[in-house]
Amino acid sequence: MLAATVEIVLDASLEHSPLIPPQPHIATWLQSLGGERLGFRVFLIALLAFTAAYACLLLVLNARVRARALSTPAETSTSTEQRIAAWSIALVAALNLIVFAGPILISTDVFSYIAYARMGVVHGVNPYLHGPQTIVGDPVFKYVGQDWVRVATAYGPLYTLITYPLGYLGVVGAVWGMKAYALIASAITLVLTWRVAQRRGLDRVFALVAVGANPLYVIYALGGAHNDLIMLALMMGAVALTLGRSGDAAAGETVEAASGSSVEGGAGSGAGFAEEGGPGGASWQREAWAGALVVIGGLVKATVAVMLPFMIVGRRRLAPAIGGLVALVLGGLAGYLVFGIHGIDVVSALNRDSAFVSTDSFPNELAHLVGKPGVFPVDHDALKAALALIGLYLLWRTWRGYDWVAASGWTLLAIDVTSTWLLAWYILWSLPLAVVTRDRRLLYATLAVQLLFVIHQTAPLWAPVQ
Amino acid sequence: MTRLRLIETTLLVLVGVLLAAATINDVVRQTHVNHRLVADLRTWRTYTHHDYVNISIDQETLGFNTQREVLCANTSPGPPGARTQLCLEIWGPVVDGKRAVHGGWYLPPYTPDLRAHRYGCFGTAVAQDMCPGS
Repeated sequence: MLAATVEIVLDASLEHSPLIPPQPHIATWLQSLGGERLGFRVFLIALLAFTAAYACLLLVLNARVRARALSTPAETSTSTEQRIAAWSIALVAALNLIVFAGPILISTDVFSYIAYARMGVVHGVNPYLHGPQTIVGDPVFKYVGQDWVRVATAYGPLYTLITYPLGYLGVVGAVWGMKAYALIASAITLVLTWRVAQRRGLDRVFALVAVGANPLYVIYALGGAHNDLIMLALMMGAVALTLGRSGDAAAGETVEAASGSSVEGGAGSGAGFAEEGGPGGASWQREAWAGALVVIGGLVKATVAVMLPFMIVGRRRLAPAIGGLVALVLGGLAGYLVFGIHGIDVVSALNRDSAFVSTDSFPNELAHLVGKPGVFPVDHDALKAALALIGLYLLWRTWRGYDWVAASGWTLLAIDVTSTWLLAWYILWSLPLAVVTRDRRLLYATLAVQLLFVIHQTAPLWAPVQ
Repeated sequence: MTRLRLIETTLLVLVGVLLAAATINDVVRQTHVNHRLVADLRTWRTYTHHDYVNISIDQETLGFNTQREVLCANTSPGPPGARTQLCLEIWGPVVDGKRAVHGGWYLPPYTPDLRAHRYGCFGTAVAQDMCPGS
């Protein structure tokens, strides 16, 4: 994994590659360390090697978890466990830092983020009304992807606001600022994943590695400094808040265990499973903050807002709804005051983006399978209807006691599978939730979808076009 | 709940199989397309005796899924599209790494490949009415 990441980052630092977007020369110091221009062949072999190593590592860690479950506490060496945990943390930290040191990989999105920020703070242009084409003379414009120069921002007003300070830093400063945002968000996501897995009675090392050493997470999401990482951090913050303080854990789990008979825990059962589905654990204030955090996440990137109904139904409390409503009113007001009505019109932006079609999307692949050239408007409607049905079914299941975190993960995965606009960093949304739920089907499904995505990238490997 | 779970799992497996089939099919399809495009690029270079890198490939003008492509590139050295363009209609089986040229047309510099801009149609492009007034 480390070797594959180093190979990609070093080769990418030489730029002039179809996989590396044009960008300011932020990683030229890496050029002296060797490497050659990153081509599809080297990139795909490195990605496949990374994926294979990741799969092997997960299998080993999973076998370790199973072996530990069968052994007595006396047979489990604490020092060995600590060593495994330390090595896992070191691996994930190294992967994060290697990518942080390198250039922007694969995607031009980060330059759109910077362009929208500079439109607002340098040029006084509302990024919700206009695309980057209104700042043709700005130094960031030449780096914005051609498909996006006429497109107004689709991101939430809170995200646009937190990027505004970076707009003052110039393009190079803003790129490093975006990379720092992504790295910090990644660190928060991983720490919270570790803590939530531990609190829910799941293996924290497995959870950390499954997310932090995931090839799509490292190469695509971190490599591209995507704002999905900020969304994931807020999402995991909300989940953590519903679990109560660590000191309350025993009490919370006792209360929940008492009501555990009516609660379905998913694939397995055992210690802590009751906390997954049922109410209790967190105080009213923490639950309200959890709801607020989901909405704040939605004001960064709207998709995460789908968690809120599952949280409300799953927790059987009004606190998340009230917290979410307060956050929506305050966030919406802030967005309205700064950007006007277009800044809070999330539905229009989502409708616009849902009409896009990417070659990697499953609907597009299915259309090819049945001999169609691609996705038609009627397919979009059918996909939206299918997604709505899945959401309703999962709400019903959550009402019947299914883990609301798993239900949220399934919904995010269903969005990925039914979306005609699918990108690598989208199929990470359900991953942190999948590793903190006992229903392992969600993790297997998420990893299977990711594997199919990686396989779909490999066509240039079998028949390169010169 | 066990029965419900069984139904859910069965459905998930079926969806997984469908998505896997679609993905593999698409990789195979794309691989075949790439093989064809490599032959098309070689054909354009052989036909024009120009070893240019920037050759545009259009897979829709002659119909999607027809395996018939139109390749356009400069007739003399210069940035992409900056010189008069020669577009070739290419289809048929790959023989010796190349496919057959059946016709074509010219385009002025910096002009998109639209019927109104084409001139000098030859081969099957004349019968296909690809140029105005042809």
